[in-house]
Amino acid sequence: MAAADLLDIVALRKNYGAFEALKGVSLSVRQGEFMALVGPSGCGKTTLLKHVAGFEEPTAGALRLDGKDMIGVPPAERPTSMVFQRLALFPHMTVAENIGFPLKLRRVAPAEVKARVAAMIELMQLKPEYLTRFPRQLSGGEQQRVALARSMISEPKLLLLDEPLSALDVKLKKVLQAELKRLHRSVGVTFLHVTHDLEEAMMLADRICVMRGGHILQVGRPDDIYYRPADEFVAGFIGETNLFPVEVTGREDGSLRYRSAEIRDVSGLVPAALAAEGLAPGPARMMVRPELIHIAGPIAGAAAFDCSVDAEITELFVKGGTIQYRACTPAGQEVVFEMPGTSRLPADLGDRVALGWNKADIFLFRASGG
Amino acid sequence: MAAEIERGWRDPALLAKALPSVLLQTACFLAPLLMTFALTFQKTKNFQLTWTWNLDVWTDVFSKPHYWTILLHTLEMAVVCVVLCVVLALPVAYALATRIKRFENHVKILITFAFLTDATLKTFGWVLFLDQKGAANFLLEQLGLPAGVVAILFTDWATMLGMVYGLLPFMIFTIYLSIDNIDRSLILAAYDAGAGKLRAFWEVTLPLCRPGIWAGVVLVFLLAVGVFLEPKVLGGGKSPMTAELIRQTFETRVNWPLGAALTFVLMTVAVFVILLFNRVYSLKRAMVTS
Repeated sequence: MAAADLLDIVALRKNYGAFEALKGVSLSVRQGEFMALVGPSGCGKTTLLKHVAGFEEPTAGALRLDGKDMIGVPPAERPTSMVFQRLALFPHMTVAENIGFPLKLRRVAPAEVKARVAAMIELMQLKPEYLTRFPRQLSGGEQQRVALARSMISEPKLLLLDEPLSALDVKLKKVLQAELKRLHRSVGVTFLHVTHDLEEAMMLADRICVMRGGHILQVGRPDDIYYRPADEFVAGFIGETNLFPVEVTGREDGSLRYRSAEIRDVSGLVPAALAAEGLAPGPARMMVRPELIHIAGPIAGAAAFDCSVDAEITELFVKGGTIQYRACTPAGQEVVFEMPGTSRLPADLGDRVALGWNKADIFLFRASGG
Repeated sequence: MAAEIERGWRDPALLAKALPSVLLQTACFLAPLLMTFALTFQKTKNFQLTWTWNLDVWTDVFSKPHYWTILLHTLEMAVVCVVLCVVLALPVAYALATRIKRFENHVKILITFAFLTDATLKTFGWVLFLDQKGAANFLLEQLGLPAGVVAILFTDWATMLGMVYGLLPFMIFTIYLSIDNIDRSLILAAYDAGAGKLRAFWEVTLPLCRPGIWAGVVLVFLLAVGVFLEPKVLGGGKSPMTAELIRQTFETRVNWPLGAALTFVLMTVAVFVILLFNRVYSLKRAMVTS
């Protein structure tokens, strides 16, 4: 573990009776990093966050914050602060009292509390007259900012966000996402953000941790997650993708040899860097994102591309800035691809074309269940 | 909400819709009340009500301190009962709503059973239990204590025991509901902000369940003021409370005008106390809000 790691989670397990919510999770978050925890509901991401906050104690494993063991330390004594899904603003306190509450508990002098609350209000771009209002008198976005202000005022080392944006409408969500990003840059606090929205995670986070069924599937930068997913689940979790079934047959000095019934590829080799680590011979998937597939020309052509397939266009959507096609190969494999919009369509419904892509744009991983 | 109600007064269509309910309320609630009030200005002769308007009863009520002593005693008992109920109900309700979730329904059913059992039965049950040769003394004797340690039967202590026992469920349930309604993440947020368990209770749980406590206080106070079985059976009728006095006046002395007057005095005092409560409560709220 590097010295710059703020949070170290090692083999954390949590059982609720017979149910295993966390099945040995290990994760390190660096100082100043914006880390997003994503996954479908019930994957254990919120449970993991609650362990970091101290609301839950693990069945086994270690949790260190800033080098200190946190097992058994109550939430009040951890250098973390949480922004709750339903915000949890105290309805019987004014905005000023809400934001100043953590300081009041730390016996900070009233005059200093007042000054720091005022500074916080300014940082959050809230109007000073809101200070005397009650949370229910504010809009959803304003309440959101108050909740953030309350969490940040005690200057936590690690800010925990439990899907705080999930209840907002799309427009406000975009505004607050930008706000969060700005806040993270300007304050420099480490963020651990739980969300089920991978798009949000890609926009905000420096690194993303994808979870499923109490396991961590992959931790990586947004482009890693998008273009180099660990498996089919991660690949399918965001956006659309193409997964071509292939058979890995062996290794040849730094490359993997593969076979496919449909893909035309003269070399039949994939550099090991473009395959999941430790990919063994056997059934695998070749992933190509829709925007990386191109129309190469009439069928059986596509000499300009490393890989190609023949397909018949079955669906076509002009989406404004982009055009999306769906096509079907002779073997029945559906291919989805997208290209920048043009005034003249490069292909129409029913056309039979060759689709090509470059070797550098693919990623190979083991077929799930294979 | 308040705006809607205010508008209702000026909306004839809405008023028309409310008419049946208004008529029913008037017929079943306001009319008997007015009848009772009218009754206080009448006379009884040879246990017969005679319809002659006079102020005799009211002069009697205001000239004899006896009635007021009993009323004061009633209020004392009611206030002590309310305080005891709050003190006893708060931990029970808190535990029920937050701690013993597993047994929550079992405990609620037990409380409801005790609550639904006929009041007469319960009261006489206490008599048997507290009697000189009752279960309580028997048990204590078995433990080696001298005979008849529990000698509270037919005292105010026994009355209070019966009242608190009978009215506690009202307090427990109103407080329980208000604690149960508190968003759990608010408590977590308090811990997260740096509060210990006691501080979180004091700063978050208590202020948020205060409306429930006040509701319980008003409810229990009103019921406690109207208690007559307990002072008669458990208190032995030695220090009667107003409700028992009213019952006696109507039934034993067959002095309906006096009974009606005493009813009105009790009602007025009770309403006054509630209004006072309300005033203090809304004042406190206004202070918090400003």
